[in-house]
Amino acid sequence: MPVIRLFYDDLEKLTSVSIEKIKERLPLMCADVERIEAEYMDVEFFPNRPDLFSVEGVSRALKQFLDIEPGLVTYEVEKSGIEMVVEASVLEVRPYIVCGVVKNLQLDSNAIESLMLLQEHLHRGIGRNREKVSVGVHDLAKVKPPFRYLAVDPGFSFVPLDYEEEMSMEEILERHPKGIAFRYILEGKAKYPLILDSEGKTLSFPPIINAEQTRVAKSTKDIFIEVTGLNENVSSALNVIACALAERSGQIQSVVLRSLPGDRKEVEKETPCFEPGTMEISVKEVNSLIGIELSAEECKKCCERMGLVVEAKPEGTMAVKIPAYRYDILHPWDIIEDIAIGYGYDRIKPEIPGTMVIGEVHQIEEKKRAVREVMTGLGYFEVLTFTLTSERKQFELMKRNLKKFDVVKVASPISTEHTMLRCSMLPNLLEILSLNKHRDLPQRIFEVGPVVLNYKEKCRLAAVSTHANANFAEVKSVMDAVLKEMGLEDAEVVESEDGAFLEGRRADIFKKSLTKNATHIGVFGELHPEVILNFGLSYPVVGFEVDI
Amino acid sequence: MGGTNTKATADELTATEKRVLLALGEERGEWNQKTLSEKTDINEDAVMQTAFMLAQKGLCEINEWEKNYYRLTAEGVVYYAQRLPERRGLDLLIDREEATFEELKNAFPDEAEANISTNWLLRKGWARIEEKEGEKFLTPTGNTSWIPPEVPKDRYSRVGVDEEILRIARDAGDIEENILLSRLKERIPEIKDRSIKSFLGDLVGKRDLLERYTIVERRISITGVGKEILSQGISVEEEIAQLTPELIRTGSWKGRKFKRYDVNLSSKETFAAKIHPYQRILDRMRRIFTEMGFTEIKGELVQSAFWNFDALFVPQDHPARDMQDTFYLATRKRIEASEELIKNVKQMHEHGGSLNSTGWGGEWRKELGEELLLRTHTTAITLGYLASHSEPPVKVFCIDRVYRRETIDATHIPEFDQLEGIVMDRGVTFSNLLGCLLTFYKKMGFPSIRFRPGYFPYTEPSVEVEVYMPARGWIELGGAGVFREEVTNPMGVKYPVLAWGLGIGRLAMISLGLTDIRDLYHSDMDWLRNARGFR
Repeated sequence: MPVIRLFYDDLEKLTSVSIEKIKERLPLMCADVERIEAEYMDVEFFPNRPDLFSVEGVSRALKQFLDIEPGLVTYEVEKSGIEMVVEASVLEVRPYIVCGVVKNLQLDSNAIESLMLLQEHLHRGIGRNREKVSVGVHDLAKVKPPFRYLAVDPGFSFVPLDYEEEMSMEEILERHPKGIAFRYILEGKAKYPLILDSEGKTLSFPPIINAEQTRVAKSTKDIFIEVTGLNENVSSALNVIACALAERSGQIQSVVLRSLPGDRKEVEKETPCFEPGTMEISVKEVNSLIGIELSAEECKKCCERMGLVVEAKPEGTMAVKIPAYRYDILHPWDIIEDIAIGYGYDRIKPEIPGTMVIGEVHQIEEKKRAVREVMTGLGYFEVLTFTLTSERKQFELMKRNLKKFDVVKVASPISTEHTMLRCSMLPNLLEILSLNKHRDLPQRIFEVGPVVLNYKEKCRLAAVSTHANANFAEVKSVMDAVLKEMGLEDAEVVESEDGAFLEGRRADIFKKSLTKNATHIGVFGELHPEVILNFGLSYPVVGFEVDI
Repeated sequence: MGGTNTKATADELTATEKRVLLALGEERGEWNQKTLSEKTDINEDAVMQTAFMLAQKGLCEINEWEKNYYRLTAEGVVYYAQRLPERRGLDLLIDREEATFEELKNAFPDEAEANISTNWLLRKGWARIEEKEGEKFLTPTGNTSWIPPEVPKDRYSRVGVDEEILRIARDAGDIEENILLSRLKERIPEIKDRSIKSFLGDLVGKRDLLERYTIVERRISITGVGKEILSQGISVEEEIAQLTPELIRTGSWKGRKFKRYDVNLSSKETFAAKIHPYQRILDRMRRIFTEMGFTEIKGELVQSAFWNFDALFVPQDHPARDMQDTFYLATRKRIEASEELIKNVKQMHEHGGSLNSTGWGGEWRKELGEELLLRTHTTAITLGYLASHSEPPVKVFCIDRVYRRETIDATHIPEFDQLEGIVMDRGVTFSNLLGCLLTFYKKMGFPSIRFRPGYFPYTEPSVEVEVYMPARGWIELGGAGVFREEVTNPMGVKYPVLAWGLGIGRLAMISLGLTDIRDLYHSDMDWLRNARGFR
């Protein structure tokens, strides 16, 4: 989740609220304070609220939340007279584009850094790593409108950001760090998107890189914003950026987007559009979902603390206006949550629900509990291990045949140690023994938990014992005791061929059934010396594994 | 120790102590461990141990001193049998009147012994070197004994003091220094102690033919208090050490004394086998939720993306669904859900279905829902339960393993346990959700809890639970919320569903005092052995 660094002087300047008050109330306003330092704090905001990903956005929300400037913030949009011509060629590559202008800015280094970080957070979240939405900001004074959005051959070249020489788009994808990072988005495209000014100068190669010449600096007064992408979220991103800049006393101006005359897909609109959305909710629904008793007036106040405005309607309903920078509100309950936050989570009284039902532990857990009791009674310590393991540990080190089972393999493992779900627990126990080689013997341990065989999950008990005199007689008597406790004293014991154990000192256990063939439920014996050595052990080990 | 205490002291004596004290009280008056052992028929070690115990109680006195003893070394034994190399060399010279070095060497088994012979022949003055026609010869000087100046030479032909010492030591076996000295003086009355010491020094230090060692000798004697106790009369009876079936059966233990044991003596450490401490925490949580009236449910580790994500209204392009964060399997499978449910979920994602919701927009693709994965939360299980139990009331919980594609370090592991719960009923509220969480954490022993706004794609309102730890401040332990209608509506659920998913690992680390989460799964035997069963 995005972590935003908020400098106290900047925050106080923008809100005129004391830092002490902010520190106290911020956690109750969709924020998680990660770290508090002498001059700044790092705050984590939720990914559905990019309007809070900048100090400007946080200040706006704080002023509303703390009743300083509650209610809908409106931003006046003037016409810039600037046009963006959207050519048909680009519609197949990256079809959505919206633009805007913010004028008369006075940017200091804090403001520029905040703008760049906001852009990055938008790219990562709503932009899905620039694929769905990407944003470019430019110094308007360096270029001449009208602009063109078009698709060109990859051979087209310009000077990209952070470079001094011209590079072709192809070279950028090959060599420029941003090109390498995001070229996957343009994979398989014959032409690449491009934004040019009226003199043919490059602004941007979306979604990869801007041109060096339009770089935003402290001297920049007027900013041109373009947002391109694959869906309607381009508008949300534009609104978030434009509003954040407007909080720095900038004047927002609109841009007209249109198609070339005669193009089949005609575009004709003016952006940004700050028309608030509207959603209707009822006071009754608010109270019944949160479990409080608010009047319509109180609901209205809570809404205003969250930057929403309410028009009361007859019969207890309210029409709530949603600002253009909030795109996280999909459903009336999203507004109800805002009301709950506006009311204060600390003021909602926790109450136990009246729902009356009888509780019950799952029967397999009852069984596992009984098994644990039996095993500790037999002097075995319980251990817990990972279910993720590797073919090497499960089969190779155990001298067992991989081909016998259909194992659950992970498509992209984090390491060679964790490539599949275990189908046996004995290797895990041997691993624990190898971690405890420096500890006193005897060591007797067990685990009860899941294994997955042929995509079927089973609950198993496995146990091992190691000391100088561990032998078949010991494991047989423990196995017998366990089977007796499980009510399986009549289970059939047959000589086994399990490669993990010593020949002539290993046995399979079959559960008898009146209706079908006896089923294999377990194995026990003396571990093979090679297996013992494979796990780096040196004392005899006996063990068993059985379905429960 | 006054007289009034002597009775008490007598009663506190063990049978062995009494036997030793009785022996010490006999006429002879002075004992060492050997004589005392013979007298009491208790082995030397045990008798000394008992004497020390008596000495501690002030009943006897032990005096110690060291004595030097001598015995022949292995080389000494051989040389004594063959006679010293210089004596054998002298015999050769007398026999031949003179000999070259070469001739002397040939008479010995090896050069080293020949050299020893030559050196000592010259040193003892038994031979000298003469030169004839450029060749060197050894010739006897006429001296045949080696004795200090104070001793008249003529009385001792053909024997040296060193040879005499070796003979005495050889005859005695092990011999104490004073005895050795007196025996030597019997043979050579004129010899002085200083000379004897110098001969002994050569034999022990230079020639390694004799070995000197020291033995601690002890004299044990009874004290006045000991005598007083004896004078009052003590009786010795055999104490019982190990109670045997025979003693019990025959009743012969009656009236007998049991050997007293030191109750503070350290014993061999032994450990109770136990349920894993982390498992105890899981069981405690399980018990708390059943006490609160919840029913436990279970489900498969392998789930489809449909149940893990889509049914939860997680958009198909959500970052949590990335290969980076989720363990996908290489295989796909038909979604285990009714066609109707799949259709409802599709419509919900695309345009909000029949609800007043915008949905996520775009196209929902069924094949993405068919991908198999290791469940990233147990919500996949609670949702499946909800789909088949859409009528109220529902109060269920699930404590089980979930998987996230995390690289392993002290605070991250790719699989961990989660505690999930839901309540679905007519009229349940967000405040009821807070009530359930507050009750649970209070029962877990965290009295201070606070609720903060949270965000999850599938709940609204959402909340994060934090508990207060005096040493660490507020710690985030879990997330909760009311399932969005976009989640519950496609399943035909008509009432609010309160839901939570609480991390357990962090809570367990705190209560078990661990700093590395891996330690929960890489059990150290000694940590397990010493983990307390009761908390």
